[in-house]
Amino acid sequence: MAPGSSRALWSGVWRPLVTVIVCVVAVELLRKTGLLPVYIATPSELVTAVMAKPSLVTQNLGPTIWRATAGYAIAALCTLAAASIAVSVRQLYGSIYNFSVTMHSIPIIATAPLLALWVGTGEQLQIVIAALACQFPMMVGAVQGLQAADARQRELMEVLSASRFQTLRYLLIPSALPYLFAGLKIAAPSAVLGAITGEWAGADRGVGAMMLYALSAYNTPTIWLSVLLTCLLAAVGYGVWALVENLVNVPGGVVELAE
Amino acid sequence: MSRDIKVDRVAMVFQGRGEPVIALDKVNLHVEAGRFASIIGPSGCGKSTLLRLIAGLMKPFAGTVTLGGETPGAARRDKKLGFVFQSPTLLPWRTVRQNLELPHDILGHRDRRQERDQIAALIDLVGLKGFENSLPHELSGGMQQRAAIARALVLKPEVLMLDEPFGALDEITRQRMNLELLRIWAESGTTALLVTHSIAEAVFMSDHVYVMSPRPGSITSVVDVDLPRPRSLDDMRTPAFFDCVNRVRDGLFGRSSPAAPDQRQQIEA
Repeated sequence: MAPGSSRALWSGVWRPLVTVIVCVVAVELLRKTGLLPVYIATPSELVTAVMAKPSLVTQNLGPTIWRATAGYAIAALCTLAAASIAVSVRQLYGSIYNFSVTMHSIPIIATAPLLALWVGTGEQLQIVIAALACQFPMMVGAVQGLQAADARQRELMEVLSASRFQTLRYLLIPSALPYLFAGLKIAAPSAVLGAITGEWAGADRGVGAMMLYALSAYNTPTIWLSVLLTCLLAAVGYGVWALVENLVNVPGGVVELAE
Repeated sequence: MSRDIKVDRVAMVFQGRGEPVIALDKVNLHVEAGRFASIIGPSGCGKSTLLRLIAGLMKPFAGTVTLGGETPGAARRDKKLGFVFQSPTLLPWRTVRQNLELPHDILGHRDRRQERDQIAALIDLVGLKGFENSLPHELSGGMQQRAAIARALVLKPEVLMLDEPFGALDEITRQRMNLELLRIWAESGTTALLVTHSIAEAVFMSDHVYVMSPRPGSITSVVDVDLPRPRSLDDMRTPAFFDCVNRVRDGLFGRSSPAAPDQRQQIEA
């Protein structure tokens, strides 16, 4: 890495790093002085909890990552396909979009028992709930994005006698990418939250299960640990897509589907 | 190769919110193969609508449009139409060369080496050599429009349609673009139809100038320009040129137009 770019990286990193360090130190100090009105687990307590029982993290993180990712992937495939159909066949636009809105407006807590009846209470339930929790931002992004091409550009495709698929490939999808990425980024934390909510509905392992067990055992540091892990997973999910977006958006980059 | 453009008693009606609006009424037009014609008229007289009808982007309410005896739709599917829009309409994520490759991408590639050579020659023809790998936003407005003209020529169209292609350019760039367009047109041998609202531009470029009037849009007169080709900017000083300009102006405003507006038009022309 060139010295210039490492300096650039550092200038982007030091502010958040300082913020985190200040917060950690502040919590430790406030706990020591007994000034906190509520109980907050200190970072050192969290570290101790993990060191005492590393299986807490190693056994629970994996299942949640898998469920969130699987649900996210299913939702991404379904919403992209549905949005492409909605935009290409105007008659279906209202039905598809409204279905997505309706699914989003029903609280997951309300649908969870029904879903459990339909798909069973195993891992598939958490995956379905994760998918349902994150479909809406993707749908909005895809539908908005696929309509982002302006009238002139559409006319150009018509002059060139492009088929519907070619119009989608050469015009609609590339101009949809900024919107798609926004949707994908926002949806990633939602998938994590969906997976965890699903785990509350019944799972042996997973960050959500760990949270629930710790809650019934009044094990506050573990609750804090599970909250921290949730935030971490959500942030990583967001970050991965932010990174992909940066890679795709290099000038003259691969925006259209490779041949 | 080129085709003639034949518009026969074409009418176009738009169903607005209230009364239906007659955009075009009994429009007749015939451009012989390989000629350059212009359509001129005030804003809202239906010039762009007429061009879109000829390109087959819309269907006429009544009457027929044929390009070399074929319907515009068929000509378009045969990739015999080139269309240049008011704005360059380049795909912003494609480089100049990739934008020129778009028609081939859609048609399906036959001979990539030959296509590459042809696109390189076109880039040279429109004076964009050295900018093949630039993105559209890195080019000036005039360069973008030249890339758009090159793209319209990629499939060797037999009819080239231009919808106020230089409307957004300054006068100096515009004159230069006019000269270049004439050169490109002469080399390609295509039939060209230009929509414009500059009298001087219409006369300078064309063999025939069709003058339109609004409400309802119709062709009120045709001015034949007999200036020799190839034309240069010096031709714009000749009495023959001014005679044609005056005839187009008479078509637009009538002979008895009041003195003050007439003088203003003189400056515009």
